[in-house]
Amino acid sequence: MAWRIEYYEQHDGSVPAAKFLDGCPAKIDAQFNAVLDAVAAAPPPQFSGGGKWEAMHGSMGGYYEIRLTGPGREQFRLFCLLENAAPAELRRRGLKAPSIVVINGMRKPHRTTFTDRDYRKHVRTLGEDHLANFPRRLAR
Amino acid sequence: MSRAGFHERRRTERMRDPEFRVEYERARSEIEQIDSVVRSLDQLRESTGTSKTDLARRIGRNPSSIRRLFTAASNPELRLVVQIANDLDADIIVAPRSKKRDRRLQSDERASATAA
Repeated sequence: MAWRIEYYEQHDGSVPAAKFLDGCPAKIDAQFNAVLDAVAAAPPPQFSGGGKWEAMHGSMGGYYEIRLTGPGREQFRLFCLLENAAPAELRRRGLKAPSIVVINGMRKPHRTTFTDRDYRKHVRTLGEDHLANFPRRLAR
Repeated sequence: MSRAGFHERRRTERMRDPEFRVEYERARSEIEQIDSVVRSLDQLRESTGTSKTDLARRIGRNPSSIRRLFTAASNPELRLVVQIANDLDADIIVAPRSKKRDRRLQSDERASATAA
């Protein structure tokens, strides 16, 4: 069964991942959409996403990222959480089906790294807010 | 019929941009082909009753690298894909597309370039 793709929404109604994608070059936005649609159509644990969808580790364990390279070898990342549970639990979370939840994205020049502070500020803080809400706050 | 979600509506809107549409379709085709190769190998592995651990041992790889490959937790390395195919007595084959399909793709790309 295909999964849904949802976007985390902040308390003020803003949608960080959509804002990030809107600021990406059109080709990068298109590739992110293509990977998301491929993974949703053939969800984990099977292989999907053409190798651009990867599980994260360490302090980012539990998150998945889509890794793309843009013009000038600029690096683009889109961070997601997977939500899968029994139907009653999905209803409690306000989800219609198992879902890929897109949290936020980040970009950086080639051969630079994100710091743990970057991950905490731009991804984990948002992800924790997302997971604390019942039902989840999702872009409509 | 359920109402389209935020993602579907945004994608539909973005598809009006020819640059986005051509790249989306190209990326989906590329992803589909890579996924198909890896899934075919995994199906072949299962059909031959080979465990991921046994496969890893036979090709001299860490079992975790095989698990990661088949669960999309990492970017597949072509050398590893070929090693697995060899071990399972299979070949990775590149098949030329039909000329008609090639012409259609080239026409789409030209249309996109003109629109841009």
